[in-house]
Amino acid sequence: MGWNIFPVWVAIVMMLATAGAVIAALGKSRNVWASALMSLAILGMAGFIAMLWTVLERPPLRTMGETRLWYSFFLLVAGLFTYYRWQYRWIMLFSTVLAGVFIIINIVKPEIHDQTLMPALQSVWFVPHVSVYMFSYSLLGCATLLSTVALVRRSSNMDMAIEKLLYAGLAFLSIGMLTGSLWAKEAWGAYWSWDAKESWAVATWGLYLIAIHLAPSVMNTSRRWMYHTAILLGFLALQMCWYGINYLPSAETSIHTYNQ
Amino acid sequence: MSAVLIAGGGAVLSVVAELLLGSFPVDIFRFPLNILVVALWFVMIQILYRRRTGNAFARFMLSRRATWLSLGLMATIGIVLGLEREPSTTAWPVVASLLFVLSHLCFVILRGWCNAKGIRWRFCLTHVGLLLALGAGFWGAPDRQQLRMAVHRYPSNEAYTMDGELRPTPYTVELCSFRMEHADNGAPTHYEAEIKVDDKKVMLFVNHPYNRTLSEKIYLVSFGKTLMGETYAVIEIVKEPWQWLSAAGIIMLIAGAVLLFVQGPRKTVSGER
Repeated sequence: MGWNIFPVWVAIVMMLATAGAVIAALGKSRNVWASALMSLAILGMAGFIAMLWTVLERPPLRTMGETRLWYSFFLLVAGLFTYYRWQYRWIMLFSTVLAGVFIIINIVKPEIHDQTLMPALQSVWFVPHVSVYMFSYSLLGCATLLSTVALVRRSSNMDMAIEKLLYAGLAFLSIGMLTGSLWAKEAWGAYWSWDAKESWAVATWGLYLIAIHLAPSVMNTSRRWMYHTAILLGFLALQMCWYGINYLPSAETSIHTYNQ
Repeated sequence: MSAVLIAGGGAVLSVVAELLLGSFPVDIFRFPLNILVVALWFVMIQILYRRRTGNAFARFMLSRRATWLSLGLMATIGIVLGLEREPSTTAWPVVASLLFVLSHLCFVILRGWCNAKGIRWRFCLTHVGLLLALGAGFWGAPDRQQLRMAVHRYPSNEAYTMDGELRPTPYTVELCSFRMEHADNGAPTHYEAEIKVDDKKVMLFVNHPYNRTLSEKIYLVSFGKTLMGETYAVIEIVKEPWQWLSAAGIIMLIAGAVLLFVQGPRKTVSGER
């Protein structure tokens, strides 16, 4: 048991998620079958995470593969929430495809070795810090999907959904970043040390804050593209913060090297 | 126009200073000079705020453009430092940008304070929290001390700065015992050291520092073996008198982020509540 059954398990989960997403895209708003199938897929994904947690005897939040697993899980949750709350028929299809991409990466390029939990990660902050971050990434992922569409097609309902997802995503992103700084003080002696990952976290945070502060001034003008562009740039910075830095020279001196 | 002049002028000046003078001389601003400078800076902001109607600089600092510029500067600092192998956090442009962000925050908080009809909790927690967290890190940086010490089975007070300069501590430290656990692949999963700080025995392990005083913590950061094969522990002594202000700011920011989620947008962009 463990990662060896991942492809089979996740194939079943993705079939359920895809069926739910397609029914939602073709059917009426708040389709019961679509929500039920997606809920089953989410439960399946949660079941795999719980099983992995038990088998590894540690929270599965350490390796890149493990964070991608949580991201896929939270993407399905955020997609279902957005569909149910704002009735976007196609959002679950988008979030399922995006979750599928990260699942396929986990199968093709595992990075899921059964590594033990190194001393620095043995902290009460570990689970809240990483899981809150992954949840914020999925909310902001949904906001980015909607923002991309909103750049070409305006809808006040969509703007409202983007703004609410942005507020929720930014709130969790902030909590993730700040719990990380409290943890850093206990582990390394400094709340903030401008490590590569921390620097990209500031860049991400700054870009999303720009979007929030731009909204009142530009959303009802011809400059609304600035708001959506800030969200897209924020999401790009977020990708850099999450895994992009591993490909930068600055990663060599980073203290956040346990997730490679 | 004034916005462009202020932002452009500040950027050019800080780059010129960096080229001519090298990194910002942080150490000059140790206590009590940093307290005096903070007080002077705050008084200046208050005076400028009171004269805002006739002062272009104060008007700019209270504008939305200043907010966008502040956040843009924060994002830029993050990107630039995130690309550097050895982040130059004391470069003049970085210091100038952070000072601008802090000054703008002060102006905005003053306006919020003076115009408030009641306590706006979310505004207060997020903005004052950021000011405290960022301000304590910025103004308190000169007072921060980080020393390393190899702790052997005999008392010693020889600690070194990160630059290798000897800085004896006013107390001695001695290793009493060291224990380590390994995984099947040989990687260390847990290590702990019992050390004696003066006459008090304390247990240290990663994520579990010892608070020697309110502003000083001792961390176990590594271990090694002498040529004789004896294990020694490497500890880090961090003195950070401003740490409680940072902690207060961070906790306020977390509370503000919770309110951001609970309350959501005050008024959505489509005009609905």
